Amino acid sequence: MGLRVLDPRLEAEGEPMTMAAPLRALEGATIGLLDNAKIGTARFYDHVEGILRSRFGVREFIRRRKPDSSRPAPPELLGELGGADAILSAVGD
Amino acid sequence: MNAPPLRSAAYEVADAYEANELFQDNGWTDGLPIVPPTEDLVRRFLGAAALEPGDVVGVEPVRRRRITAEKAAIAAVMAGCMAESMPVVVALVRAVCEPEFGLHGCTASTGGSAPFVVVNGPIRRELGMNTTHNALANGSRANATIGRTLRLLIINVLGGLPGRLDRSTLGHPGKFTFCVAEDEEDSPWPSLAAERGVPAGVSAVTVMAAQSPHQVMNEWTRDPREILETYAAAIRANLLTYSIWAGNYAVVIAKQQREAIAAAGWSKKDIREYVFDSARVRRAEWRTAGKSAIAARKDEENVYTALRSPDDLLVVAAGGPAGGFGAVVPPWYGAKSLAVTRRI
Repeated sequence: MGLRVLDPRLEAEGEPMTMAAPLRALEGATIGLLDNAKIGTARFYDHVEGILRSRFGVREFIRRRKPDSSRPAPPELLGELGGADAILSAVGD
Repeated sequence: MNAPPLRSAAYEVADAYEANELFQDNGWTDGLPIVPPTEDLVRRFLGAAALEPGDVVGVEPVRRRRITAEKAAIAAVMAGCMAESMPVVVALVRAVCEPEFGLHGCTASTGGSAPFVVVNGPIRRELGMNTTHNALANGSRANATIGRTLRLLIINVLGGLPGRLDRSTLGHPGKFTFCVAEDEEDSPWPSLAAERGVPAGVSAVTVMAAQSPHQVMNEWTRDPREILETYAAAIRANLLTYSIWAGNYAVVIAKQQREAIAAAGWSKKDIREYVFDSARVRRAEWRTAGKSAIAARKDEENVYTALRSPDDLLVVAAGGPAGGFGAVVPPWYGAKSLAVTRRI
């Protein structure tokens, strides 16, 4: 005689998420850089910013640093990044 | 009246062996074998906690994952719990879902912590929990399986799979299970739960995000200062070699040292105050631990305490009767996760 066993995982809730449309070009774009507040992130973003500006023509950057690396970014901070065409989120351990 | 329906998908398997194979193949376990969570068993466990399947036991605050009683019961069955352990499991889930515990951060961190669980009150005896020999390790079914239930929930409900949400570089063996019960009957002091505001006679669970325990030994003195200086030295070493940030530490003190400390008239409060004063380092001492590259980034005369205040120290009486041993249980990452106590 067989057994019926129950799935231990949580069922998905809510609407499925979709990927945002990719940027057509970086030229003239505004890029948000979300810093996870670890010790090496700012230096890493300085480097990324230089490359994106000089080689890809990115016009503007919005850089914000999370107050706590282990907790989500506060909504106000995410709102400030909302003006960007795309956002990078990086861990700089 | 019909029983409320269970929501989980069900799978047909030939027998318990095949059930375990299914769970192993799908990554639904910690690598150890599971007890097949059948509907009958899950309903029995729900009954032991007086919960309906859809009751939400806790919500993980960051990703908003809702841990239902049904999933908690499935994990408890899988872990090998007795149904009577369900009230402890439920209190434990509620505790780790408190925002100050920071379950998401301590699960996802490269730091690789485990929830360190301390059970107090009458339920310890009702469940046959071990409080003496081998107190931090294998010793009773309840200790082993309550701790394991939380791990299985983190894996299956929160997605805390190694390499996915769980980004631990190393982790430690306590991630399988890390649950102790305090030896209240043989302790000269109030229990941990009592010190954290739980009335006498009420069972409670306390949980902190912890690194691996570090054993200390000093059986060469009965002076409480000397004994506690050994614990403080281990904590100072942790400040220098692991993390300098202050938060909750736990010390587990076995009977031989408890007797010596209590004979000198010292309470748990005295222990906390001594360790608070002694467990601190100067930034310059980082240079002795190979961290000179970072020592100079701030004033090297700055003093760092292990505890933000004496109350940050959790003092737990547990362990076998012989031997001048104890253990220091360091925090995951300073005060980013704080210990939480919940009544059962």
